[in-house]
Amino acid sequence: MHLVNEIIALLAANLILSQALGTSTLFIASGSRKNLIGTACVITIFAVLGSGAAYLTDRNLPEKYADYTLLIYTLSVGIIYVILLSALYFISREKFVKFRKYIHISAYNCAVMGTLFTVSGRAAEDSSLRNLGSYMAAGLEAGVGFIIAALILTAAYRKLNSSKVPAAFRGFPAMLVYLGIISMAVYALK
Amino acid sequence: MNDRRNSVFDGVLGDNTVLSALMVISPVIMCGDSLKNAEALSYAFTSITILSVLISSLVPKKLPYALKIVIYALISSLIYIPVKVATHEFYRDAIERIGIYFPLLAVNSLIVFQTEAKFFRMKRARMFFSLIFYVLGFDIVMLLTGVVRELLAYGTINGRIVDADVLISGLSQPFGGFIFLGLMCGLYRWIRAKIPDISKAGREQDASGK
Repeated sequence: MHLVNEIIALLAANLILSQALGTSTLFIASGSRKNLIGTACVITIFAVLGSGAAYLTDRNLPEKYADYTLLIYTLSVGIIYVILLSALYFISREKFVKFRKYIHISAYNCAVMGTLFTVSGRAAEDSSLRNLGSYMAAGLEAGVGFIIAALILTAAYRKLNSSKVPAAFRGFPAMLVYLGIISMAVYALK
Repeated sequence: MNDRRNSVFDGVLGDNTVLSALMVISPVIMCGDSLKNAEALSYAFTSITILSVLISSLVPKKLPYALKIVIYALISSLIYIPVKVATHEFYRDAIERIGIYFPLLAVNSLIVFQTEAKFFRMKRARMFFSLIFYVLGFDIVMLLTGVVRELLAYGTINGRIVDADVLISGLSQPFGGFIFLGLMCGLYRWIRAKIPDISKAGREQDASGK
């Protein structure tokens, strides 16, 4: 029962199904299982490391400079982006060529940037969440949420793109309606 | 000449920012449930995107790709600051409701990725007009979504009660946003297919997996 509650909580807090964050990336990546796994993993890395940077920003940025939060988050994600690309380049040139597209697509993504603002907002409301562990755990939760939404979409991908669906609704429109129905089910679970 | 006309106006119908390329869809789904929100988002998106792309076009092209992407994102995050102050003056309540989707406009894919893939491959004047129409494409969809969802979900337009017989309250929720946008996307494709000049270009854009 505890596990079921945890799964329901994870679904209800899902960034894509409840907040529509990262939906475009999900659609782009859902074309191939390999792309989906690669993108989901890199988004999770960005969300976790970015949340850590968001914690440092929130802790050290004075209230009167709150308008600069986006700028510092953007800079933090940019630094993570460059470090990840450089690390991959020095580990293996072959892997760099193969995997850099996942890093490019995941860096400035609503799923990642939205996670930083969501985590920060939750911490502002609940002081018990204002620690590095909670921030990074929330980042990990967002990444796992992306993977769950990706799996849900992959399950129906072929049918939503089949010739049986009217041409105008084939692909993206059908996927949006499908995600809407799943989102409705998640909304009912809350 | 025909090619040029198509590419400049593509952002509205041939390759609409939201309905064809599926860019910046989160604010449309989450915040497009009232005209006031839609106005605030359109105003902010237009200001941030046009200024950011124009300033970003001055960044040296020889820099490494990743560095250029970071610089574009930083430029738009800087422009976000005065735009937020201005938007706060005109749409104080709407900003509260829009929440995290407001800063997310500044790192939208039209600025961060399409600049390199599309706009900076054009000559400056052509880029400017093309950008205007891509932004207009977003604004039209955003405002249309705001009007229709507000009317059907709350029975109001811009906060004023209208004589609506049927209310679908679910349209104000995220799932309503997903379904409504999916239906609009299908309708858009159907209309586009009826116009031979742009249907071929549009199909190519859709097939490119954007």
